[in-house]
Amino acid sequence: MAVFLQSLISGILIGGVYALIGIGLTLIFGVMRVINFAHGDIMMVGMYLTYLLFTLMGIDPFVSVLISFPLMFLFGGFLQKTFINRVLNAVAQNQILLTIGLGLVMSNTVMLIFTSDYKILTTSYSSSTIQVGGGVSVSTPLLISFLITAAITAALYWFLLKTDTGQAIRATAQDRDAAQLMGINVSRMSIIAFGLGAALAGTAGALISPTYYIFPQVGATFTLKAFVITVLGGMGSVVGATLGGILIGITESMSAVYISSGWKDVVVFVLFLLVLLFKPSGLMGKSRT
Amino acid sequence: MRKHILALGVALALSPNLMAQKIGVINSMSGPEAPIGENISNGIKLAEEDLKKKGINLQLVWEDDTGKPQISMSAMEKLATRDNVAGVVGPYTSACSNAVAKLAEKYRVPLLIPAAAKEEITRQGLKYVFRMNAPADKYASSLIDAAASLGKPKSIAFIYENTDFGTSTTKTAKEYVAKKGIQVVADEPYPKGAADYRSTLAKVKSKNPDLVFMVSYVADAILLMRQSKEVGLQPQAFLGAGAGFTTVDFAKERAISESVISCTQWTDDVSWPGAKDFGARYKTKFGKEPTYHAACAYASMIIMAETAKSAGGDRAKTRDALKAGKWNGIMGEVKFADYDGFTNQNNHQMLVQQILSGNYETVLPVQFATKKAVYPFPKWK
Amino acid sequence: MNKTTLKALLGLASLAFLLLLPRYVDSPYALHMMILLFLSVSQGQSWNILGGYAGQHSVGHAAYFGVGAYTTMMLMHAKQVVPWVGVWAGVAAVVVVALVIGSICFRLRGPYFVLASIAVAEIMRLSAINLTTLTNGAEGILATEIPAFKIGERLVTDFSTKVPFYYIGLFLGLLTIAITYWVQHSKLGYYFQAIREDQDAAHSLGIHIALYKNIGLVISAVLTSLAGSFYGIYVGFVDPPTVLGLDVSVQIMLICIIGGMGTLWGPMLGSLVLVPLSEALRSNMITEGLVKIGLVSADSRIGLFLKENLSHAHVLLYGILVVLVILFMPDGLMGFVKKMAARRHREAV
Repeated sequence: MAVFLQSLISGILIGGVYALIGIGLTLIFGVMRVINFAHGDIMMVGMYLTYLLFTLMGIDPFVSVLISFPLMFLFGGFLQKTFINRVLNAVAQNQILLTIGLGLVMSNTVMLIFTSDYKILTTSYSSSTIQVGGGVSVSTPLLISFLITAAITAALYWFLLKTDTGQAIRATAQDRDAAQLMGINVSRMSIIAFGLGAALAGTAGALISPTYYIFPQVGATFTLKAFVITVLGGMGSVVGATLGGILIGITESMSAVYISSGWKDVVVFVLFLLVLLFKPSGLMGKSRT
Repeated sequence: MRKHILALGVALALSPNLMAQKIGVINSMSGPEAPIGENISNGIKLAEEDLKKKGINLQLVWEDDTGKPQISMSAMEKLATRDNVAGVVGPYTSACSNAVAKLAEKYRVPLLIPAAAKEEITRQGLKYVFRMNAPADKYASSLIDAAASLGKPKSIAFIYENTDFGTSTTKTAKEYVAKKGIQVVADEPYPKGAADYRSTLAKVKSKNPDLVFMVSYVADAILLMRQSKEVGLQPQAFLGAGAGFTTVDFAKERAISESVISCTQWTDDVSWPGAKDFGARYKTKFGKEPTYHAACAYASMIIMAETAKSAGGDRAKTRDALKAGKWNGIMGEVKFADYDGFTNQNNHQMLVQQILSGNYETVLPVQFATKKAVYPFPKWK
Repeated sequence: MNKTTLKALLGLASLAFLLLLPRYVDSPYALHMMILLFLSVSQGQSWNILGGYAGQHSVGHAAYFGVGAYTTMMLMHAKQVVPWVGVWAGVAAVVVVALVIGSICFRLRGPYFVLASIAVAEIMRLSAINLTTLTNGAEGILATEIPAFKIGERLVTDFSTKVPFYYIGLFLGLLTIAITYWVQHSKLGYYFQAIREDQDAAHSLGIHIALYKNIGLVISAVLTSLAGSFYGIYVGFVDPPTVLGLDVSVQIMLICIIGGMGTLWGPMLGSLVLVPLSEALRSNMITEGLVKIGLVSADSRIGLFLKENLSHAHVLLYGILVVLVILFMPDGLMGFVKKMAARRHREAV
C-alpha cells in the first residue's frame, strides 16, 4: 500500500511539471498548427537561464521564474517572428524540420558556451522531504513546484477566458481566417502564443532545476513527452494538457512499479496510440478534422 | 602522380625525427556522448603538452565520431588511409570502438582504446587493438567483493540505466552474485535521464535488500540517491558503478552521497606516479576535476606517442612495442596482456572508494587504501 | 540530339563511371564515402516514395531501417543464417511491421500521423532495448565475421575489401531509383499524387485510399529495410540508438527535404550535398582547406579558433543549414534549381 501511495503521489507531482511543458506546446499548436520539435530545447534554454541566475546572482530557482518567464516570453516571440512565422503556410514536414533545425542550433550553441558538462543546481532544500505518514514521503521542492504550476495554470485560464487578448488568442486558435476577418491581429496573437508557450516551457525548466540536472541535450526526452501529453489532452486544449500531464506522470510511476521501469515509456506510447486511435480529438479536445 | 606520392611517403617515413609524430584521435566531441568525450579530449591535450616538454612533437589528427559507429568508421578509414597516422587513440564509446577495432586490424593500425567498457572488444583476438581501462566485468566484481568482505549481504537489488554500459555491467554482476550465493530481489533497468525514480525506489524498498547496486553513467546518480533518501531506502550498502557516482559534483552533495561505495579506474589521490600532479595541472588548465576518462586518455596518448616515436612511426613496430612494453605512470602499471580470453588488455586494478566527509577515499584494495570503510550504511538523517 | 537522348546518354555515362570507379580508385576512405552516399540515396529514395509522392510524412522510418538491420544481424548472430538470406527475412518482418503500423497510423492525418509514426518507432526502439534475449538489449549485436559469399562452390567474395560493399550499395541505390522511376510513371504514382494533393477528392474519384497508402508504405518500408540490413552488415554492429533512434528517422527525412521531395533527383541531390558536407564539417577539412588555399594561416588566431571550434560546431552549422534551406528553399534544392531554370527560361523568352 505504501508503495502504491508513494508512486501515486510522486506521479502526480512530477505530472505537474509535465503539464506545464504540455500546456506550452498545446498553446503553440492550437494557435499556429505547428508541431514544435524545439519545445524541449526551449525548456533547456530556460534551465540554463535559471542556472545562470542562481550561480551568478544567487537567485533561488523558484524566485527566478519571475525573471525567466518574461525573458523566455521575449525569446519565444522572437523565434515566432523571425522563423516560425515564415512557414505557417508551408507543408507540415517543413515546419517540423525547421523546428528540429532550431532545436539543433539552440542545443549546440549552448554547448559551445557552457560546454557539455552536466550542471547541478543544489539548493538548501534539494534533498528535503515532508513525511506524510505510513512510510510515504513528499519531496519538498517537487511540492513547491507543483503549487507554482497550479498557480500559473490558474492564471493562464484567467488570462485566456477573461482578458481581451486571451479571447483573441482563443478565437485565433478556433478559426484563424474567421478571426482575421473579425479584425483580430492574427500575427500578433501568434507571437503572443509562441511567447507564452516558450515562457511556460522555460518555467517548467526552472521548476525542475532544483531536483534535476542540466545539459545541452536535455530537451529531447521532454519534447517527446510534451507531444504525448498534448495529444492525450487534445491538441490545443489547455485543460486537456493539464490533465494529460498528470495522467502521464501517474502512468509512468505506476507502470514502473507494476510492470517494469524498463517498459514504462512503452506503456506511455501505447496509451498515446490508443488515444490517437479511439479518441483522436484527445480527452478534452473537440473533434476537429 | 602516384609515384610522386609514394616517393613523398618514403621520404616522410625516412625522416621520422624531423617530422612531428602523427597520431589520430577519434572521440565523441559532439552529440549525446559529448559530456564524457570532453574529458577524453582534455586528457589528450594535456598529454600533448607534456610530450612536447619531453621533445616529442605530436601532430594530432582529431576526428569527431558524434557517438555514431558509422561515423567513427569514416574517421578510421580517413586516419588509416589518407592521413597515414602511426597509431590511433580512441574512440570513446563501446559501440564506436567495436566498429573501429575491426578496421584497425584490417589496416594494421595500432589502436589504443582508452575508456570503452564492453568486454567483447578485446575478446576477438585482434592483434592491433589495445585497451587501457578495465572492462565492465571488473566494476561488478570489485564492488561485490568489497561488500562481501565488509559484511554478510544476502540479497541485492539492481537499478541500472538501460544502456550498453548499464546492462553489460549488471549482467556480469548477476552472474557474479549467483556464484557468491547472494539473492537478486529486484532488477530494474531505467531510461537514462528520467526525472522520477521514486516509484521504482519505493518498490525496491519494499523488497528490503541488503545491497543496492546502481549503475549510472551521468548525473542520474544524484537523482537516484536523493530520491532513495526521500523514500527512505536503507540497505547495508549503496554500491555505485559508473562515472555518475565518481564525480566531484556527486561527492559535493553530502546530504545524499556520504558513505556511498563506488569504484573507479582512477583517482588523483592514488599512489600511482604522477596521478596527484596530473590532477592538479588538469584542474588549473580546465577549471574542473579530471575524471578517470581523462586520466585513461592521457596515459593512452603518452604510451602511444612514445611507442610510435621510438618505432619511427612504423605501424607494425609500434604494435609490437605496445605488446612487449611495460609502463608505470598515472594509471599505475600498464601492460597489454592476454588472459581470460582477452587479447592486449591492460589488467587494470580497479579502486573501490567511499565518500567520507565529502571526499572520495580509497578503501580497497588495502595497499592503496587511504581510510577504513564505513559499513553498514548509516541511518538517513 | 533531343533532350531525352541527352539525358539517357548522361545517365549511361554516370552509370559507367560508377561501375568502373573501384577499378581506378583504391582509397578505402573514398570508397567508404561512396558507400555512405549510396546508403543515403537509398534511404532518401525509399522515404520519398511514401513521403514525397504519397504525401505521408513519416518521421518513424527508423522502425523499418532498424527492423531490417536487426533481423539480418540477429539471424546471422544467433542462427548463423547468411546475410543474403537474412535480408529477406528482414524484408518479411518489415512487411508485417509496416502493415501493423499502416493499420494504426493511416487512420490519422497530418500532424497526428507524424506523431503516431514517431510513437511506433519509439516503441520499436524501447522494445529492442528491453527484449534482451532476442536482441541482446542495449548492448547491441556485433558481427565479428561475415561469411564468404559462395554460389555453389565458387567464391564470389569474402567481403575482405570495400569493393563488394561498394557494388551492393550501388545496386541498392540504383534499385531504389528504378523503383521510384517506375512508381512515378505508373498508375500507382498518379494515385499517390492524387492522395497527396487532396485525399478527399481522391476518394471521391474512387481511389481506394487505405489500399494505396499501404502499398506505398510497404514499398517504402521494404526498401528502407534493405538499406538497414546493408548498414548492419557493413558496419558490423547494431544497437538501439544507432538504427532505431529518432535522429535516424529525421536524417532520412532530411535527405529528401534538402534535395526536394516528390522528385526523382531530390534524394540524390540531397545525399550529394549532405554526405560530403557533414563529413567535411566533422573532420575539420574546411579549416584545412582554408589553410591550404592560403585564406587563413594555420597559426593565426582565426586559424586556431576555427581548428578548435569548427569541428565542435559542426552540428550547429548543420542546424543552421537546415533552417536556411527551409526558409529560403522550401522546395529543396530541386525546387530551387527548377525555379532558377524557369526564371532563365522566362528571361530568354
